[in-house]
Amino acid sequence: MLSSIKGLADQSSKTPDATSSPLSMQPPHFPAKAKRIIHLFMNGGPSQMDLLDPKPELNRLSGQPLPDSLKQRLQPVQRKRAGELFGSPFQFRQHGDSGIPISELYPRLSEHADKLCVIHSMQGEISNHSPGLLLTNCGHSTLARPSLGSWLLYGLGSESQDLPGFVVLCPGGLPTAQSRNWTSAFMPGIYQGTHIDIANRGKQLVPNLTRRDLRRGLQRAQVDLVQELNDWHLQERADAKLESQIHSMELAFRMQTAGTDVFDLSQESQATRDLYGETTQGKNLLIARRLAERGVRYVQCYQGQGQPWDHHGSIVRNLRRLTEQSDQPTAALLTDLHQRGMLDDTLVIWGGEMGRTPTVQNGGNADRVGRDHHIDGYSIWMAGGGVAAGTRYGKTDELAMTITENPVPLYDLHATVLHLMGLDHRQLTFRHSSRDYRLTDVHGNVIDDLIA
Amino acid sequence: MLAPMINLATHPGCRRRRIKPVPGAIFSAIATKAFPQTKRIQRRSLIDDFLGGIDILAPLSWGFARNSFRVPAFAHPNGGPHLMVISRSSTAFGLVPRPPTRTHPLPTELQSNCWDTGIWLDGCLMWIAFVVVGAIGWADGPDPSAPSRNANAATRRADHDFYEKHIRPLLVARCYECHSESERTSMGGLLLDRRSGWIEGGDTGQAIVPGQVDESLLIQAVRYGDDLYQMPPDGKLADDEIKLLEQWVRRGAPGSVTDVGQTEFSRLGDQDYLFSKAKDHWAFAPIAKPTPPRRARRSGWNRSPIDRFVLDSMRRAGLGPSRRADPDDLLKRLVHDLTGLAPTFDEVESFKQDLAKSSDDDAVIRRVIDRLLASPRFGEHWGSLWLDIARYADTDSNYRPDTRTPHYYPFAFAYRDYVIDAINQDKPYDVFLKEQFAADLMEMDQNESNLAALGFFAVGPHRSRAPLEALDDWIDLATRGLMGITVACARCHDHKFEPVPTTDYYALRGIFNSIERSNPLELSDMAPAQHFVSTASERADYQAQAARVTQRIDEAGNQKAKGNNRPIATKILETELAQLMLFHPGAPAKSMIIRDKRKPVPSFVAIRGDLGVRGQNVRRRFLSILDPEQIPFPESNSGRLELAEAIASPENPLTARVWVNRVWGKLLGSYIVATPSDFGLQSSDPTHPRLLDHLAFNFMQQGWSTKQLIRSIVTSRTYQQSCDTSVEAVQLDPENRWLARANRKRLSIEAIRDRALSVSGQMDGSMFGRSGLLWPDPGGEVATGKAALATNRRTLYGFVNRFNLDPNLRTFDFPSRMASVDQRATSIVAPQSLFLLNSSFIIEQADTLVNHDGFKACNDDLARVEFLFRAVLARLPAAYEAQRIQSYLQRHQAFVGRVKASPRMRDQPWPLIAQSLFMSNEFQTLD
Repeated sequence: MLSSIKGLADQSSKTPDATSSPLSMQPPHFPAKAKRIIHLFMNGGPSQMDLLDPKPELNRLSGQPLPDSLKQRLQPVQRKRAGELFGSPFQFRQHGDSGIPISELYPRLSEHADKLCVIHSMQGEISNHSPGLLLTNCGHSTLARPSLGSWLLYGLGSESQDLPGFVVLCPGGLPTAQSRNWTSAFMPGIYQGTHIDIANRGKQLVPNLTRRDLRRGLQRAQVDLVQELNDWHLQERADAKLESQIHSMELAFRMQTAGTDVFDLSQESQATRDLYGETTQGKNLLIARRLAERGVRYVQCYQGQGQPWDHHGSIVRNLRRLTEQSDQPTAALLTDLHQRGMLDDTLVIWGGEMGRTPTVQNGGNADRVGRDHHIDGYSIWMAGGGVAAGTRYGKTDELAMTITENPVPLYDLHATVLHLMGLDHRQLTFRHSSRDYRLTDVHGNVIDDLIA
Repeated sequence: MLAPMINLATHPGCRRRRIKPVPGAIFSAIATKAFPQTKRIQRRSLIDDFLGGIDILAPLSWGFARNSFRVPAFAHPNGGPHLMVISRSSTAFGLVPRPPTRTHPLPTELQSNCWDTGIWLDGCLMWIAFVVVGAIGWADGPDPSAPSRNANAATRRADHDFYEKHIRPLLVARCYECHSESERTSMGGLLLDRRSGWIEGGDTGQAIVPGQVDESLLIQAVRYGDDLYQMPPDGKLADDEIKLLEQWVRRGAPGSVTDVGQTEFSRLGDQDYLFSKAKDHWAFAPIAKPTPPRRARRSGWNRSPIDRFVLDSMRRAGLGPSRRADPDDLLKRLVHDLTGLAPTFDEVESFKQDLAKSSDDDAVIRRVIDRLLASPRFGEHWGSLWLDIARYADTDSNYRPDTRTPHYYPFAFAYRDYVIDAINQDKPYDVFLKEQFAADLMEMDQNESNLAALGFFAVGPHRSRAPLEALDDWIDLATRGLMGITVACARCHDHKFEPVPTTDYYALRGIFNSIERSNPLELSDMAPAQHFVSTASERADYQAQAARVTQRIDEAGNQKAKGNNRPIATKILETELAQLMLFHPGAPAKSMIIRDKRKPVPSFVAIRGDLGVRGQNVRRRFLSILDPEQIPFPESNSGRLELAEAIASPENPLTARVWVNRVWGKLLGSYIVATPSDFGLQSSDPTHPRLLDHLAFNFMQQGWSTKQLIRSIVTSRTYQQSCDTSVEAVQLDPENRWLARANRKRLSIEAIRDRALSVSGQMDGSMFGRSGLLWPDPGGEVATGKAALATNRRTLYGFVNRFNLDPNLRTFDFPSRMASVDQRATSIVAPQSLFLLNSSFIIEQADTLVNHDGFKACNDDLARVEFLFRAVLARLPAAYEAQRIQSYLQRHQAFVGRVKASPRMRDQPWPLIAQSLFMSNEFQTLD
């Protein structure tokens, strides 16, 4: 074996290569707690006043028409179809020492109230799914811009050299706006997210990951042969890139094991699997934890393909169904991260691309009613990774129609999330087309109140 | 006093509250015309001072979209000042003359030429002119109250002290975070760390009108009086702080004694400054014919002017050239660089023999070059460069969520055929460009295949975008792709770094907005295509299959799909029929085209890119940096032919330079200008500026012949050098800027796949025609079936799904084809090795190779090893390599002997050995 390969064997999977791979670890701009992010994306737009932002006054006025003054706040197309005020049919209770109110739909998540930092005043720009998703993920509603995950990989590299550094889990297909949600846009393709559909058993989760017709020992012998040929080839040439290719072949060989193991939930204890539940969401979030544990920088978990939280109709039934799917796994993830000591350096973000109106859509049959899109004051929460636990930030009015205190545009959220990861959103730039681009473009303020 | 009208479109305070910007307030005219010799900043302060004598709505003055609208001042013949304000808006606003507080003799340069420019209303026909004739009691003599010089100096000192003591600390504490160079932000375009910053103001206008407290936007903002407009956003200043600021404005808003004035940072987007900088920029200078340096005493390096230029720079860097590459390396390099393929072992041997027999190596090499340039494979290989620039793909950029299929472009392939054919014919590059803009408008023989050239624009990403963005793509393609200038940046504001005002963007937008694309699925909407010929039986099979699908479409009638209410007929058309048209060899051949809309669409500046806020009208024309006279294109059509002529003109300093640099980079593995799609002020300087001009000049003189250009490069000694070099040379020039050696190249995925297919003997060499899947569909997006079988044609003919790029292509840095590509990235990542280790494609090529009759006929292991080395690497194995494979065989057999045989598991060594040669670095790189 040649000298450059020697030593690779005892390199642990967390040690990045000395050769300058575009994914090798970069120091943050300043020390920070959070090392990685698990982003639970409630795609479709979950209803804030049924889940996290109780509105007793709205409940009291339920059934009455929306005052004209407030109607003007709706998008023109929504005005026509907006019905009466629609109070939440779900009960809220305050939880933990912090007294954060959480809906009865989230009994298990409620136990973690003191870990949460709830933002009630999220502010979108365009009240529809694609623009909302793109703004939330990439910092721009329409133009192709690199996603948050790409920026993190670009800024910090990946802790794991045997797994992709940015993984998107979306069971059953693709969310709305599809792969644009995890695009690297004008950055090199290596910073793009790798989409994995755990529900799709037919295809390999990572392309070309393994070879089923070859025993590992035989393949090792084959790779040894290749590397020796490469070594002779290199000796006559002395070229750093050729050396990198030799490293890359070794990494690929190891990745076969790492990339298979991470999806193999049988390696988890029965207790852990029970904690998450043997459901699609349970498996999805358990895999997310396994990925995070192995140093994947940014894991994004969509609840499902399309926009499952988009409840224009039958919202009562649909909310019950979706929270039933997600309550246990979400709570399990927080418990599990906490127990493993990972919650301190893992930032968990929960939220959708928008919220929903306090008015009814598709009125009439009580079983069919729903809520329309709403971007002025929807709720998200964060936990771990140095956020201010057990706090609430921002307020909406009594009818959940407008933001009354501390609006949080997505730019500010991005600036804050980058800050939690040790990156200054103004310094993290990428030059393209003669211009330095930023995730926050020309906007963004770090919100100190969200940081512990 | 009338309330100021301000554009709040992008003001942070406004954005925070999501308030619709106030349109209107268009306030303009032309100081440029009036003060052509004056720099903008001076001009502004002239006007500034000048206006000090008039009580006007200063806040809405020139800060508003300031480079699109300008304010002229006029010298009245009788010496009094006049101000002309031109407005499109009928909103009532006006100017209130008042007695001057100061007197300013108007500079003579203004007096001389202002008056006749006063009627300069070109392009402002719909604008209403307000004329305010001002200055009551103007300038009869010096103001008797004017203080003496000494007193002046004392006042100034006191002003500065006041600023330093009270104002600067306040600004630093409360405003610098968003409005200072030290924080590298100028939100809303406003800087508050220098006097020019608050005098010029930002996007919403002049921030401070010296002396005019109530008219100063900054004061209004800090007072929190206006609901829309409150600064600082995180909390109102204390009352005494506001009082200080008012006092400061009243004193004339003095700045620091050490005011930084204009800096690079504050000049971002200052178009006058950028235009003046552009005058000295190499890329905008005309392409002159440079004289090659004098002959060097180095045999072989004097024949080509290219070598003389390169050798001269190399020598200056203290370097000397490397020897010529070994014959086998040279042949492999030539075959790859001209055709994308690899020579066979026999071809290498006969090349070596020819060299040995001949006394003139150069002549032998030239014969090879001529043969390769004439090969039809040449167009296929160089076509792939063009398809990167033209962001070619077989689908649009998104998919349909209900059917989970992409928006197919079944007939994009006709454009690819056009490109391959044009390159093989060596169509002059200028004609090549013009055809792609306007083949339908050019007076040529009615050769319909040329219409496929219009696919240049038609095959781009379109559907997932807002309309503005689809136009952005076209503008970007025509400017960055062909001329290396980034015009698409000037959509919302003047370009920050390049001499490209917003008006230029909208002048081009006027052209492209007057063009429409054909419907990619509507046969009657497209032009016929040539090159591709199907057989009668293929056509019959297609007809039969299409008839079945069409019947189902007919049967669906008006039925709607459950769930999303889309017509079932449409869904079948967009999926099954589209796939059939895309993949079936017997499907009709069509060309995606563009054409002019019935009437050209007038263009106007959209302020901050917001189409809701209309700025001035802009005529369709070329970029002002390349056409200073800004001659408008004809009114009657889109002007795309005129645009193409301006781009492909020998007068255009960019087009030829950009193209020769791309060609050079592809051949040499490094560029003369390291930013091939950016030749603007931000570009990297050429390493060999005179060589670049030599290449560009000769290229145009030789009839824009790309083949001649390539021939001149590959016959040079520069190109033919060896990759090997001394350690000292590497230390002196690690990046090989001075080309004292050849760059080792990593093969693209196209070349790797094409080589592998050639080696295994499975390559299907047929040219032209529709796309096929490169390997059995891994993503499962394309419906499986007969049509979806993988093709063994060259990778160039592979189906490119822009929405979801094939993971194998993506892994090897194949571009997403979402936008014109400046150059391919060359990353080295583990998934590339996974492809070689585990992909069914590579495994299949190795398997096929060891099933070859020649391999089976080998009698012993050495013969087998030699067969494999000859086939895959076009050479014989060294003794140690053959021995190493012997030891591998033993290790393999020992391992197989230890484990239980399983029908699922492979235990044959030779396919694995063959594969290991495909996996080797030697296979993937080119010396």
